[in-house]
Amino acid sequence: MKEKLNKILKLDRRYLFVLLTLSIVIPIIKPIGIPSKSISTSVKDTYNFIENLPEGSTIILSLDYDPSTAPELHPMASAVLKHAFKKNIKVIILTFIAGSGGLIDELVRTIPPQYSKEYGKDYVVLPYMANPLAALTQMASDIHSFYDKDINNKPLKDYEMMKNIKNYKDVAGVIGITGTALLDYWVVYVGDKYGVPILGGVTAISQVGYGPYLQKKQLKGLIGGMKGAAEYEKLISQPWKGTSGIDALNIAHILVIVFIIFSNIVLLILKFL
Amino acid sequence: MNIIKKYIPLTIVFIFGIITLASYYVPHRASDEYLEWINKWENIVSAFALFLGMISLFYSHYKKIQRKVDGWGYSLFVYIGFFIIMGAAILSKGNISKEGKLTYLGWSFNNIFNPLSATMFSVLAFFIISTAYRSFKIKSFAAFLLFICGLILMLGNIPLGEIIWDKVFGWTKLTIGEIKDWIISVPSTAGRRGIMIGIAIGAAVTSLKIIFGIERGYMGKE
Amino acid sequence: MNRKFLLASVIILSLGIDAFSNKSKDSIKQNIEKIELKNLSVVDYPSDKGNSIILYFDKDEKQKNFQYEIYLSTDSANWIKAKQAKYDELSASNIEIPFWMWNKKRNINALAIDVTKVFSLQEDDYFKQNPKGFSVYAKVIAIGDNKKYESQIVKGIAKANWFRIDRLNNLVLVLIISIVFFIIVSRAKKRELFIRKIAGLEAIDEAVGRATEMGKPVVYIPGIGSMSGISTIASIFILGEVGKKIAQYDATLKVPHYDPIVFTVAKETVKQSYIEAGRPDSYREDINVYITTDQFAYAAAVDGIITREKPAACFYMGYFMAESLLLAEVGAGVGAIQIAGTDVDSQLPFFFTACDYTLIGEELYAAGAYLSKEPMLVSALKVQDFGKFLFITFAIGFSILLLIFSKIETSYAEKLLDIFRVR
Repeated sequence: MKEKLNKILKLDRRYLFVLLTLSIVIPIIKPIGIPSKSISTSVKDTYNFIENLPEGSTIILSLDYDPSTAPELHPMASAVLKHAFKKNIKVIILTFIAGSGGLIDELVRTIPPQYSKEYGKDYVVLPYMANPLAALTQMASDIHSFYDKDINNKPLKDYEMMKNIKNYKDVAGVIGITGTALLDYWVVYVGDKYGVPILGGVTAISQVGYGPYLQKKQLKGLIGGMKGAAEYEKLISQPWKGTSGIDALNIAHILVIVFIIFSNIVLLILKFL
Repeated sequence: MNIIKKYIPLTIVFIFGIITLASYYVPHRASDEYLEWINKWENIVSAFALFLGMISLFYSHYKKIQRKVDGWGYSLFVYIGFFIIMGAAILSKGNISKEGKLTYLGWSFNNIFNPLSATMFSVLAFFIISTAYRSFKIKSFAAFLLFICGLILMLGNIPLGEIIWDKVFGWTKLTIGEIKDWIISVPSTAGRRGIMIGIAIGAAVTSLKIIFGIERGYMGKE
Repeated sequence: MNRKFLLASVIILSLGIDAFSNKSKDSIKQNIEKIELKNLSVVDYPSDKGNSIILYFDKDEKQKNFQYEIYLSTDSANWIKAKQAKYDELSASNIEIPFWMWNKKRNINALAIDVTKVFSLQEDDYFKQNPKGFSVYAKVIAIGDNKKYESQIVKGIAKANWFRIDRLNNLVLVLIISIVFFIIVSRAKKRELFIRKIAGLEAIDEAVGRATEMGKPVVYIPGIGSMSGISTIASIFILGEVGKKIAQYDATLKVPHYDPIVFTVAKETVKQSYIEAGRPDSYREDINVYITTDQFAYAAAVDGIITREKPAACFYMGYFMAESLLLAEVGAGVGAIQIAGTDVDSQLPFFFTACDYTLIGEELYAAGAYLSKEPMLVSALKVQDFGKFLFITFAIGFSILLLIFSKIETSYAEKLLDIFRVR
């Protein structure tokens, strides 16, 4: 009995991998449709911030994630952009991650036509910049001195929506969706220093770390992980990948909990044998 | 030689360290202009360093191919992969898409880079489960407490967790979301703040050590 | 006859209307009375870039229901309306400046105005054309009791300041820590200072010894931070010490890099370590290898190195993000002894579960002092302790004071909070 239990404790991890694969793949192929009961306060705050912005306001959407974190962050970026367009809010999209180009391209190819939004009038995309600190500090005085051209290499000043945008004072807020620590930079170098409202979208693992910022209202709102993305999609009534991935997330989480409890029960039994 | 290798770098670090520290207390435009100038220099130095790094990368893989060591085929693939993507980028002039259609670079990004990056990140899920099963053994009260908090946070992150909680502990009139928010905003924040303060003080003292030349690790060893 | 009468009537009527409108204009002009607002002044907004002013004047109880319109001009002739506010909306406490620069208890109407926004000036041009300051005229139109009152015209200048007096609290703290730093470091050699044991650093010898016995390499991963990161600097220092031990034991070292600048520095560090250990012939150029500056491509490459080389010891020191578990779990899978250290607290749980020893945050920064035992570096650790002691004292002491002051006199509580506010 003891040997069997020890064998179970030292189970080849490939069995665990197979179980995990099945728990993720099956709900994606055949959705279960587990309903989401509540919406977290920080997601609601983010939604309300955009909802309460006057029409014609401009926000900066900083999309700093690459394909590795796209499953969690891309759905929330898409939801936020759709919400902004729905409320006729102008969006300046920028990035400090080289690998996000294709993801941003996918967003701006598919979403603006759904809301009849025009490039240059309703949204602009700024080119990738390697030095986030330089960009964040210089945009405080003049965005055009740092970003003189857009991603299409055309002068930024020529675009209708950028004519009245000089610096952070002309922007209603910044939403940073990132899988890196860039949101901290926005909070410290822009939010705290210039009083610009900062909101964020991060992976589930990083969400806990932003507790202090949320508590002190340095972050006005936060969307965390795929669940946060699903909640936001529910608020704007546009289910997408966040919602469709939540079933797999449910089962996988339960599986991990079951494995931990199981291994500890086996350990407890071994202790008394 | 000592002057070039030791004293000049120390002097540069001291002068620019003090000026950058002072710029925090100077609101004048001159301070902003100094920071912009320094950032531009940082970009230039990074570009040269990247070039050096690439030379080293290609050289080390070339040596492996030349000596035909075990796994030299992977080294060949470094060259193949690099030149294919470089070629695609040059042909596409750096554009991911043009007139709504994906360029060669865009196609490579969407069909090669994206799936590879996502694959590596998704391997994390498998490693988490194997680590959790192997290492998370409750051998003390502290570990038990940690497990309970972890359990609440995990259940609070999923809709199914809310349903399970309501069925089992619905009588407490507390939702798991509320408990999760409390754990994140009170004990977790308190612990994080302590670590953040310690790290901030450590960073401040280390910066002073670097500025005044006591810590010289960045120069390489003497 | 009728036509003449009609024409005359029209002329008289139009003259009458004109006379009446002139009288109305006169009466409107007469409605804007002159008023002398007591102590109306325009001053430079302190500690700023030079694009703001503060306008203030004494409060008058008789104007409690009044509304004020503030006008600015560059030549006292062409006026632009800058702001509009009610009596209650203007007060000294509106100005977000600490108490040591501005008395918030003064009974005045005050507001701050950004002149670049009022005159629609581009900041770059504004600073180039006004290097010595921007002169501005101001007047106030007070509206109340169905009348309009125009104040006297005052002049002020918006100047760029050279020192942020509002950050004096921060500067004092920095100076205190710096002075303590110098005092402690200067007394470094006089007394041996105690550092508690850090298990992760003590285990370095054990890890390197194990690698030598098994004839397997040691893999050292300095993280994905840049050379400007404090944790990366600490990591390079530890690499130097680890390199020295490896050279002494004649083991093999592999250091894959994420950042090209860190790679360049690490090369020099490792080379020098081998020279110091008396083994310059054992040093090879391919000890340090630059992989890539993409997070997961780097993780994939390092995982490949660990899986193929099967090292006896793995060191993860520096700045890590999501790839931390990818690296640590693969290392655990090949049976290596693993020592990790990072200041990124979100990755600490992964290192705790997958590694044998973990250094948390400051322990990584202390590594330099701990391993080298250099008196100056060890004494610098004491400065960190002093900083923490200072913080704890302030946190507890001022929390108690805040509680007392808020019960007795709220202005003292506000002053206390001002001392700790970050601007």
